[in-house]
Amino acid sequence: MYRGTDLPSDGLIAVVKRDCPTCVLTAPVLGDFVQRTGLAVYTQDDPDFPETVPGRIDDTMLDVSHRLRIEIVPTLIRMRGGQEMDRTYGWDRAEWERVSGLTAIGPDLPMSRPGCGAKNIEPGIIEKLKIRHGETGLASRRIELGGGEDEIEAMFDRGWSDGLPLVPPTEERVLRMLSGTARDPQEVIGLCPPDLVPATVEKIAINAVMAGCKPEYLPVVLAAVEAVLDEPFAMHGVLATTMYVGPVVVVNGAVRRQIGMNAKGNALGQGNRANATIGRALQLVIRNIGGGRPQEVDRATLGNPGKYTYCFAEDEEGSSWEPLSVERGLPQGKSAVTVFAGYGLQGVVDQKSRDPESLSRSFATSLMAVQNVKLAPACDVMIVVCPEHERTFRTAGWSKQRFLTRLHELCEISGEELISGAKGIAEGGPDTLAGKMVKKFRPGGILIVRAGGGAGMFSGIIGGWAASGARGSSPVTKEVKT
Amino acid sequence: MSLLLDPTAERSPTVRPRLPRPEKLDGLTVGILDISKPRGDVFLDRIDERLSERGITVKRYMKPTMARPAPLPLRQQIGTEVNLVIEGLAD
Amino acid sequence: MADLESRGIPSVGVATTEFIDAAAVQAKSLGIDPAYVFIPHPVQDRTDDELRALADVHFDSIIALLLKGNQ
Repeated sequence: MYRGTDLPSDGLIAVVKRDCPTCVLTAPVLGDFVQRTGLAVYTQDDPDFPETVPGRIDDTMLDVSHRLRIEIVPTLIRMRGGQEMDRTYGWDRAEWERVSGLTAIGPDLPMSRPGCGAKNIEPGIIEKLKIRHGETGLASRRIELGGGEDEIEAMFDRGWSDGLPLVPPTEERVLRMLSGTARDPQEVIGLCPPDLVPATVEKIAINAVMAGCKPEYLPVVLAAVEAVLDEPFAMHGVLATTMYVGPVVVVNGAVRRQIGMNAKGNALGQGNRANATIGRALQLVIRNIGGGRPQEVDRATLGNPGKYTYCFAEDEEGSSWEPLSVERGLPQGKSAVTVFAGYGLQGVVDQKSRDPESLSRSFATSLMAVQNVKLAPACDVMIVVCPEHERTFRTAGWSKQRFLTRLHELCEISGEELISGAKGIAEGGPDTLAGKMVKKFRPGGILIVRAGGGAGMFSGIIGGWAASGARGSSPVTKEVKT
Repeated sequence: MSLLLDPTAERSPTVRPRLPRPEKLDGLTVGILDISKPRGDVFLDRIDERLSERGITVKRYMKPTMARPAPLPLRQQIGTEVNLVIEGLAD
Repeated sequence: MADLESRGIPSVGVATTEFIDAAAVQAKSLGIDPAYVFIPHPVQDRTDDELRALADVHFDSIIALLLKGNQ
């Protein structure tokens, strides 16, 4: 059953560490076993422990513990003919008597005591052991860097970077990243454009490492990848368009606070690791797994700074409005990501409106400028409403739906204003628009999220892709699964 | 020596791929970088002649000493002035 | 050459056969695959005519390494 020759094939084996009070408690029993029946004791942390067992064996490298799959110390195992016959862990007199076949052991000890976590399964150690024992299960090709290569420069030179330095994806870091999910590393999340390559959990984890994610962010990254690879999002088109857009990721539910995302001051700005690296990981997945690079398949004329990373959390606490994920059909409290093909931020500054009608008009008038005042219908938009603006709707009892309905009503333009040449601007539509009223946004084409600091009457509009909806990209919401 | 996991679809070799090359030389400028080894200039002069005969624009550069890498300003200059480089003659 | 390639300039090196091993070691250490044309060593004692003849012989292979289809 166990490889190697240093494990006794018959008799009793115990694995202990000094750092565990229960192990210290059982030290006299182990000494007693040595006298009565013989026993091989492996010690995980201190080769001088337990002093009661002169022939104790140093397992501070933890290779034996790993091979025995020890999870709790002390563990007592009975072997026969090279096979494990029985095991128990922690201290429980009846169990120890059963496994050892001895009676009247540890008469001075309490009946039982729970054990402690074994050292070989601690994070940071289990990964090293798996690598040493060839058990990583990682399928990706290993890239051996030359001795003269700087890791960071080598990653730039291989074209893996978005332009900023990356964290080197070593086996150890990738294994640690994968500990953030229970999903199989070889599970395919979707086909990644433009090359339509299967995006496995493992490949996504590698890119998450490079982006600087913590393992606990991985489920959010996976959900974001799943969302952009869902057909309605049309990731290939979002990548290949000459327009500005890239995926904008909004996170809802408990996971936001669990992983420390920023939904408050500077939510759309720099400085929060989760916000920054989750959005970056998504972009690296498209770049490295899908093969989507600027000036190649990515034909963006200008692009936008959000194509490095564009990810933030909704500020749900204290809001009178349902979160975006709930509005989009998921149960309240479920952790979720919503992806929107968007770009940049256009401010909606209004420090005077004290009633929702005036504030709605402020938003609507600002929204008319999206893409061009001469263009309607225009792309979808995501409105990020700051808490002080949301308060104005809250105190007046306006639901999110009422605000949305009012916005759609207000964002209607007479065709005359849109005709090519009107207002002295050649951009615009045909003469047949005369006499018609035109909606600036399609039904469902306005998304509302609440985020930002407590002070400042400054909301924002995230513009979308001209090809919004069925003919292009639709927002997609996915639950975050662990 | 580091061992990294490949983040890509593994469609290219593990060594750094060479840059994509152009279809033909027409309209491009070729730089010839003389690394200052003795007699290399005679060889490179002939390469220059052959390119010029074909109507290719050639720009000549010289490393101050063969014992050191080309200085940064020279590398930056070459990087902005030519499309392709022929470097020699090492032995 | 690695530096020029990182600046977006495809490059080819010309070296004598003495340099084959050194080039291979350097390539492995830097994880790169530089394009080289090797000519017979030595060059220092050759006449101008001999060197020009060598350049003519290798001209096509040097150019080939700068063009598509030979990467």
